[in-house]
Amino acid sequence: MAKASMRERYQLLTRDLDWEPSYVTHDQLYPYTRFEGIKIHDWDAWEDPFRLTVDSYAKYQAEKDKRLYAVIDSFAQGSGHLQVSDARYFNALRLFLQGVMPLEYQAHRHFAYLARHLDGPGARFASLCQSIDELRHAQTEIHAISMYNKYYDGLHAPTKMHDRVWYLSVPKSFFDDGLSAGPFEFMTAISFSFEYFLTNLLFVPFMSGASFNGDLSTMSFGFSAQSDESRHMTLGLEVIKFILEQDEDNVPIMQEWIDKWFWRGYRLLSLIACMQDYFLPKKVMSWKEAFELYLEQQMLDGLFPDLAYYGIRPPLHVEQALKEKEYISHQVHWILYQFSHAASFTTTVPTKSEMDWMSAQYPDTFDQHYRPLYDKAAKMQKAGNRFFNPGLPMLCQVCQIPMGFSESGDPTTLAVRFSEYRGERYNTCSDGCQWIFQREPEKYVQAWLPVHQIYQGNCGGPTIPEVLDWYGIQPGDSGEYRTSADAKNWTHWHEPAGVK
Amino acid sequence: MTTAAVRRPRLVGVDLQDTEENRPIVDAIELDNPDANLIRMPGMVKIQKEGRLVIRRTTVEEVLGREWETHEFQLSIISYVGNISEWDEDQIVIEWEH
Amino acid sequence: MAVNSIGPYDFPAKDRQEVYGDDQLIHVMWAGNMLFCSPACFRVPRKMKWSDFKSMMVDPWAGADPDYHPDKVGEWRKDSEPIEPKPDQTLAQLGIAHKGIVSFRMA
Repeated sequence: MAKASMRERYQLLTRDLDWEPSYVTHDQLYPYTRFEGIKIHDWDAWEDPFRLTVDSYAKYQAEKDKRLYAVIDSFAQGSGHLQVSDARYFNALRLFLQGVMPLEYQAHRHFAYLARHLDGPGARFASLCQSIDELRHAQTEIHAISMYNKYYDGLHAPTKMHDRVWYLSVPKSFFDDGLSAGPFEFMTAISFSFEYFLTNLLFVPFMSGASFNGDLSTMSFGFSAQSDESRHMTLGLEVIKFILEQDEDNVPIMQEWIDKWFWRGYRLLSLIACMQDYFLPKKVMSWKEAFELYLEQQMLDGLFPDLAYYGIRPPLHVEQALKEKEYISHQVHWILYQFSHAASFTTTVPTKSEMDWMSAQYPDTFDQHYRPLYDKAAKMQKAGNRFFNPGLPMLCQVCQIPMGFSESGDPTTLAVRFSEYRGERYNTCSDGCQWIFQREPEKYVQAWLPVHQIYQGNCGGPTIPEVLDWYGIQPGDSGEYRTSADAKNWTHWHEPAGVK
Repeated sequence: MTTAAVRRPRLVGVDLQDTEENRPIVDAIELDNPDANLIRMPGMVKIQKEGRLVIRRTTVEEVLGREWETHEFQLSIISYVGNISEWDEDQIVIEWEH
Repeated sequence: MAVNSIGPYDFPAKDRQEVYGDDQLIHVMWAGNMLFCSPACFRVPRKMKWSDFKSMMVDPWAGADPDYHPDKVGEWRKDSEPIEPKPDQTLAQLGIAHKGIVSFRMA
């Protein structure tokens, strides 16, 4: 018997294993795919360009894991942690482990739900594969970074911190927003906006950064995960086109979701912008460059003309993001710098050569607005008064980031937007977040804002040490890098070994 | 509906891990797409091209010197830009649809 | 527009005033000073006098900037509205909303 073609095998192993229910109605079997207003007439129109079948999925995923674990093992065995560019680099890993890994796990859970609840077998199978992928990502990410936990602080309780710590409420609330929406909005949010539209900005420069900073372990994990991500991107694009092609009534709903989830995702990525420009001691590319390459060139110039065919325009508020590329990483780092006494990472004033790099990368903003702040902070630190903000920050009701963003194009004026809902006032950081709030106020009034929760007495106590203890943050995890245990150990481990 | 003016050339492309195993694949892609642009970043290679990028099994096999199935490309790829319009036994094609 | 949901969707606001009893949340912003990345958030009794609010909340916070001079501040605003608070006025009397913003500048 001749070997079946990829197309036939996909048909046999995926579509042909489906059946029509006879004991219950179709609607009873799939109860969650109509309440959002999306109309699907023909689930068979779903295309999987990868034509992935369960046997080839297992075969290639096993191979990916085998390669990854071989690298991780030999890197750990060879004391790979000593090859990293600088111990400051581990702050990027902390943020990644605490902020991103738990999202992978949540994605695993939710794609498992979609693998049960979507009506079409093609879409269910793609979701099933993605669910397994996401679990693999959470596990391999923990594994890749765990070797550092023996030597460096702040890596010991990522999932606990994810649920409790103030800056981690940013990724957590982002994902919770998606999980608590219906299946089609979730797919637009996570599969399309996050995985297709924005993922390259998150992963590619960061993993290339891991490579450049000598972190073989994270690089290998990242590239391995990212190879699955290509499939997820395909799913993301397919979801959008499939829904748009099914019914014209779907177009305005999708447009609003794209508008919402572009801004939600973009705000979340401002943490990555900071990580990329400040936490990587050796820089691969600046946030601004990555933004221009991946978002402007690839997405706005590449993808959106394709979507225009269906009547979809570029997301609302994108022009504000274009202006913010000149300074957003600096605004976010300045927030993290002054609140790192309450974080599970350390920060410090960038070195002179780093600041010169930033001047070159951000010629219109860095020397004008941010270098003077670091000069002042350095002066305070020299006088024995390292600058930490003694207050608790005002938070945006939607993105939950401290309100440190400025008016668009004017870095010197803080942006504050407020809205009223049922007689109560709600503050947001930008037109984008305000628009999202006003679209569904009854959702965002429930936000678990970390600062307010501290004031309600729900976070271990009223003092910072009590709150940090409740967060699972231990002495040594936070504060100033230069005087940290990590900095001391690093210097000690790297004392010249040669004979003089 | 097609009002979005194309301001710059619409690129498609793939990002691949920069490894010994992928080098022949990168070479094969260059052979099949002579005007592709290669950007090297730490740990990875970014291949960009205007319009349409094709990866042919026969070319990869020739450069690689062994049999290669297109599914194996999953082990090489980090990311891509564009739309995968074809992925069968013989080739992978990335291009924008509209 | 309303949230699309599979059932009734009506949940209380997490930070409504009553959760804080006789207190409320107030944000303080030092306008024109980028050293503080964002306004600060305080929980305070609504009956607190302005003079106490200034000396017990604003001064210790703003004093983290070595250039702060407690007696050189002015141009107080409640959101964008200029105000001239008197020392004995309470926060309630000043009409500062729960989660509202009070800002100042330094001469």
